[in-house]
Amino acid sequence: MNPILTMQNVSVNFPVKGGLPFLKKRFVQAVSDVSLTINQGETFGVVGESGCGKTTLGNAMIGMVKPTSGEVIFQGKNLYTLPKEEFKATRRQMQMIFQDPYSSLNPRFNVYQIISEPMFIRGEDDEETMKARVVELLELVGLSSDDLYRYPSDFSGGQRQRLGIARSIILNPSFLVCDEPVSALDVSIHAQILNLLNEIQAQMNLTYVFISHNLADVKNMCDRLAVMYLGKIMESGSSEKIFRNPLHPYTQALLAVVLDTVVGKEREFVILKGDIPSPINPPMGCRFWQRCPKAMEGCKTVPPEHLEVEEDHFVACHLVNGFPDVELPTNYDQLVG
Amino acid sequence: MEPVLKLRNLKVIFPTSYGLIRAVEGVDLDIHEQECVALVGESGCGKSVTSQSIMRLIDSPPALTRVDTLEFCGEDIQDYTPKQMQEIRGRDMSMIFQDAMTSLNPVMTVGRQIDEMYIRHQGVSKQEARELTVQALGLIGLPEPRTRANSFPHQLSGGMRQRVLLAMAFACHPKLLIADEPTTALDVTIQAQVLSLLRNMQTGCGTALLLVTHDLSVVASMADTVYVMYSGKIVEKAPVKDLFESPQHPYTVGLMAAVPRLTDTRKEFYQIPGTVPHPANKPSGCYFHPRCEYATEQCAKEMPPLRSSGTNREVRCFHPL
Repeated sequence: MNPILTMQNVSVNFPVKGGLPFLKKRFVQAVSDVSLTINQGETFGVVGESGCGKTTLGNAMIGMVKPTSGEVIFQGKNLYTLPKEEFKATRRQMQMIFQDPYSSLNPRFNVYQIISEPMFIRGEDDEETMKARVVELLELVGLSSDDLYRYPSDFSGGQRQRLGIARSIILNPSFLVCDEPVSALDVSIHAQILNLLNEIQAQMNLTYVFISHNLADVKNMCDRLAVMYLGKIMESGSSEKIFRNPLHPYTQALLAVVLDTVVGKEREFVILKGDIPSPINPPMGCRFWQRCPKAMEGCKTVPPEHLEVEEDHFVACHLVNGFPDVELPTNYDQLVG
Repeated sequence: MEPVLKLRNLKVIFPTSYGLIRAVEGVDLDIHEQECVALVGESGCGKSVTSQSIMRLIDSPPALTRVDTLEFCGEDIQDYTPKQMQEIRGRDMSMIFQDAMTSLNPVMTVGRQIDEMYIRHQGVSKQEARELTVQALGLIGLPEPRTRANSFPHQLSGGMRQRVLLAMAFACHPKLLIADEPTTALDVTIQAQVLSLLRNMQTGCGTALLLVTHDLSVVASMADTVYVMYSGKIVEKAPVKDLFESPQHPYTVGLMAAVPRLTDTRKEFYQIPGTVPHPANKPSGCYFHPRCEYATEQCAKEMPPLRSSGTNREVRCFHPL
């Protein structure tokens, strides 16, 4: 296994706007203390509900958000300490596909301008070369050269997502972050885009990070994955192992609520109580304890470590790992207030 | 038994600068007491327009609406005046929308918005209404209903807002509830909460439910009867069990195969080729034929009729599977 990207103890905090100047500044802990490794050529899934920090994590991977602490190492280079020129050269290797194909394309640019823009920015000025490359990519993603001078408004959602994909691969990247690439699309188009992504991956030998809230997509697309909740990774490792043997109660709950298209059996939803807490004041201890059906007393105060339980299968849960040898604070009620 | 809602041959046309958009072309729909009917289709197939026409929420003009029969609880509501419709809406027939944030009034506490239902439809005093509201909020599982009734919509989470809408919709024990994509904007764990609440409330109040959705898995777990729509027409109607066990229309088959499942092991996804036709520019013959692998010459020329194909089943296809 050849790692292409490693994250070590990455945290991203955003200051909360507003409040009074003399009050303590508050932060949203979008990603906290995340460590993971992504191997060359694989599809790495990031799953979680809205607000769990999966998009921020994706942004931190490709240098769009500077982590508050921790390191992101891409192909052996620490992204955030590179000199500016070298950062730009490295950054060229990493691209992104966005969730919303309606707002991620400039409505006043035609297809040629949209797709060739990354080349243009990188100093390419020969119209003919650019045009030839754009046409080649259009055909690769299933559109045609007739579409060259049309505008985004002329295309359907699925076609726009194809444009977004063409734009993201024009510089021959090696690492592509797909941020919910199909969640804005219709069911019948959904599968088309996923197949296209798989084809391109095989052709260009790409590494994908596939961010999604849909477990079924992730299961079918990804080799390895991480399940996130409130900025922390709950469970990570080989996709096959996690789906065969989900160990974290949150993963189990997520799997249980995926509705299947099988009728007949009387469905009992395994329902998590409550809502996702605010990431401004995340619960101390395990982030999930308030909603966890199996929470124990100690879960409220001691944050679980992310430990390997079998080869390439990590879980952050006291239930699985056992409590570490630490004194549990006895003044819990005072600590929480 | 007389159905709660009987709709025959609904047609809705929107004149636009692109030409006439035939959003709904002759839809028939029956909803019986306590039944959950699902209307499934992709965006632009006319499912929302159908549901809004039942509530008579589509203004005409600009839209051109024609319907042969629109009977609600045995009464013909086609020619009801706006005033009469207002009486029914909310009391006998209510609706919840996909986006709870935009359906609630942002400058009014949620309590007052629910109070209005009781004051308007049951003629109770403000104080009595608030008591009923607190009860209703408790019933849908909002913690501390009395305090929560004084919060504004932005102070609640997405799941809670959807619950508030449910409380409002069920306030007067309506005979029919239309739920337009009720869980699409919610997270999976919250979606499960809201769906099970919706089902409990439905059985509790004896309400008939029209569930409009694009999500087949929601349909599988909620519906009794399913109507599949494509490009403004019903292409298949069947009891939910039959539909999932033996879909007959190629579109339904494709739609089901295209949904990725947890039980899948292959990496390739089944895909329906092509895209949904633009509503102003529909193909000749069967609207699905350019994307259909079983299409013949006849399919390109004639629109197949909706034919009976088993008990309570209908399919619009020359070559049903």
